[in-house]
Amino acid sequence: MKEDADSGNGTGMDVQQAAAIMQDTTERAQRALIVRRPVLFAVWGVAWLVADGTIWLSVRDQHPYSGPTPASLLVLTLVVAAAAAITTVLVGRAGSGVGGWTVLQRRILLLSYLGGYIGLFALEAAIDHAGASRAVLGVYGAAAPILLAGLVVAASSALNLDWSVFGLGIWLLAVAAGSGFAGPVSVWAVSALAGGGALLLLAAAGLRRRRS
Amino acid sequence: MSEDELDPVIHAPARLRIMVTLATVPEGDNLSFTRLQDLIGLTPGNLITHLRKLEDAEYVTTLKSGSGVTARTAVSLTSAGRAALDRYSAVVRELLGSVSPEPRS
Repeated sequence: MKEDADSGNGTGMDVQQAAAIMQDTTERAQRALIVRRPVLFAVWGVAWLVADGTIWLSVRDQHPYSGPTPASLLVLTLVVAAAAAITTVLVGRAGSGVGGWTVLQRRILLLSYLGGYIGLFALEAAIDHAGASRAVLGVYGAAAPILLAGLVVAASSALNLDWSVFGLGIWLLAVAAGSGFAGPVSVWAVSALAGGGALLLLAAAGLRRRRS
Repeated sequence: MSEDELDPVIHAPARLRIMVTLATVPEGDNLSFTRLQDLIGLTPGNLITHLRKLEDAEYVTTLKSGSGVTARTAVSLTSAGRAALDRYSAVVRELLGSVSPEPRS
């Protein structure tokens, strides 16, 4: 709906109308410009739960442990790709036409995360090359990405002093550090439940707060 | 307190919507002219007219970059604009408080 220039001037606007315009505009702008975090938490919570859960199902009867099956790794890849695609659409839609510091900060965080992942894979290859067992590689493969995610999430909370995000980051660091003790098989189940489950709980809490 | 204390530069429906929309993005961020136009629902000519008034008051800044298909006009709220909107909101709240009905006993 287009408005003519005259109706944009203040003639006749009383204070109640001004308050109504402020509230309506704020709600519209927030809906359009701010990514709904509970939706992102839900998307990644489901992805995490399905991906690590599938890997756990593929390794739970292995004696001795030999590692995730190609089929379960394919599921992980597809699920993560789907979650990344949904995130890209949601963030891209909200961020369309927005420029400045936030965009730059988001790019730096993404680059840090991708750089960290490349480092993790390189280190895994080095550990393998140094003669680590399949079990050690299994624990590393499951726990190290959570450690990286926790670190990035906790550090990102400093950008706008978001304590709930900081709490999530610290929780992920604790899950990464603790889950390794479950061994190369159960580490996947612990990761799926404690990591994916935590994101789903945060999503549910966020959605409940929005409705109340 | 009276309605006379409401900043006349902001106290116009279109300019109020522009200010509130720009205040939604964090300080240091900006909105492109086309996205702002899309969110406010004004014609380009009207938006330019209102932005000029807000620029004259030093409440917003516009910055053009690129050329041709990559041309972009970034619109952002200045610190003075953000402070003026905060003052405006406070006056509106104060006035609404003073005209709200007495609670029933």
